[in-house]
Amino acid sequence: MASSDAAIDSSSLTKAYARNGPLAVADLTLRVEAGCVFGFLGPNGAGKTTVLKMLLGLTTPSSGRASLFGTPIGIPASRRGVGYLPELFRYPAWLSARETLALHASLANVVRSVRDAEIERVLALVGLDHAGNRRVGTFSKGMQQRLGLGVALLGNPRLVFLDEPTSALDPVGRADVRDIVGTLRDAGTTVFINSHLLTEVERICDRVAFFRNGDIIAEGLIADVVRAPSGVSIRTDGADEAVVARALRPFGAAEFVSGEIRLADIDSARVPDVVAALVSAGVRVREVGSTTYSLEERFLELMSSAC
Amino acid sequence: MLTLVLDAMRETVRRKFVPAAAILTTAATLLSVWGFWSLAHLHTAAGRPISFVEMRSTTAVLVIFGGFLFSFVLAFGAAVLAAPALSTDLESGLLLPILARAIPRQRIVVSKIAGLAIVLGIYAATASVLELCAVYVTTGYIPPNPPAAILALWGVSAVLLSLTMALSVRLPALASSLVAVMGFGLAWMIGIVAAFANVYHNATLARVGVISQLLLPSDAMWRLAAYQLEPVAMLGRNGGFGPLGPFSVASPPPPAMAWWTVAWCAGIIALACWMFARRDA
Repeated sequence: MASSDAAIDSSSLTKAYARNGPLAVADLTLRVEAGCVFGFLGPNGAGKTTVLKMLLGLTTPSSGRASLFGTPIGIPASRRGVGYLPELFRYPAWLSARETLALHASLANVVRSVRDAEIERVLALVGLDHAGNRRVGTFSKGMQQRLGLGVALLGNPRLVFLDEPTSALDPVGRADVRDIVGTLRDAGTTVFINSHLLTEVERICDRVAFFRNGDIIAEGLIADVVRAPSGVSIRTDGADEAVVARALRPFGAAEFVSGEIRLADIDSARVPDVVAALVSAGVRVREVGSTTYSLEERFLELMSSAC
Repeated sequence: MLTLVLDAMRETVRRKFVPAAAILTTAATLLSVWGFWSLAHLHTAAGRPISFVEMRSTTAVLVIFGGFLFSFVLAFGAAVLAAPALSTDLESGLLLPILARAIPRQRIVVSKIAGLAIVLGIYAATASVLELCAVYVTTGYIPPNPPAAILALWGVSAVLLSLTMALSVRLPALASSLVAVMGFGLAWMIGIVAAFANVYHNATLARVGVISQLLLPSDAMWRLAAYQLEPVAMLGRNGGFGPLGPFSVASPPPPAMAWWTVAWCAGIIALACWMFARRDA
């Protein structure tokens, strides 16, 4: 039985587009708590969009089960209070932005008496208040993506799926999306983001999952994911690399990255010994901490190790 | 549901289908006025004005012929409008945000068909009334039962609309419209061939005709429309051009065929809904 605390709860979700064909998604078990901003990362063709489409009932799973807020996917009720910005965002060129939002406000059952106000709120939120009456056909890609974000946010959904939400946006637009996601988090909205822009994900997500070949290969809080399993990083006052390497030889091979000394696979109980060895070699130690990767480094490491 | 119906109707206007049809229909009506006025003032080779009976019978045949061309316009229009409504919108991504809403997919299919059927119905009625007014003003002729004929002509478009929409769940727009229009043409030709059955009392041909009308009732609807446009005096005579052909119907399809057409459309729409609900987006 799915827990009602989970915005998304899937178990052994599998998708093969052809009978006996390769699995686009293999046995996916995933849980996203309500109110979490969740990043779903993976290379092209990993199956991220397929997962998202299955959760939204756009594609039928081959096997397994999943639910949104406890309601099984595939039935319309599971999509109540859910917003979606597709990766392939296209809206009717013959409608104005305001008409597009009015259509979706009606489909999202936004109460008629507040519909106009809601449309104006969303137009302002995504920065299209100056272009509300313009036909979508005259919009740039970035404006269309902003409109798609607006469509996804109509009616204050409790769960929002954003598939590559900043792919067509300039740096200002990306900053706007970051702000909007921050606002959603503050409001307790669950946000599920598929993205390749790892720096964006690192800045806006609480948790991430790395997805490859149809399966999750790592998942956790951003802070845990970027922290090396048992590494230590040391900053010194410009110590000679040869001296450091010699002093640390008993603890393993030292790496020198961006002015930092990194030691991998070292037990935390041995960290005082490491510092003592450096000090006795005449090195002035300024800072000692756990090794952290950027999300991009971690992504590349995980993807190459999963090959 | 009403939102999606109105959206489908608005699309036909905004995408210039309705304005284009309005302009062409107005032009065709003006040409008809000129043509029927000329017919009413024709002279024979001997220099005398054509008789009232000649003028009326020729007008009646031309009205049926015009009705047939109009049935083709409606059938083709239905196929062209319905073909991209699901397949192209799905491939282009236009439908994704709508499919992700908390509404059953069946409602999307039914709404699109309803919206397009209403547009085609309004167009069929308006264009037919305009044309019949043009005929009446210039020649004083009015066919026996225009409302029933218009309804039957709209039935032709409803058959093609349902079929094309069902095909477009699985086929690309071009293929689904092509298959539907070819089916319409084939059914029409089989209808002509089956008309020989009445002349030669050939049971096999008659059966082929009935099977064809059951499989695709567009020809049955056309024959119903033609019958309603045909004056009693020329029933089955094709205006003196012989008893065969698509412009001469001695007896209309049985009333059960009209009900079968309604059931056929409902069945095909149900099939389209069932297939669309199972299609990956």
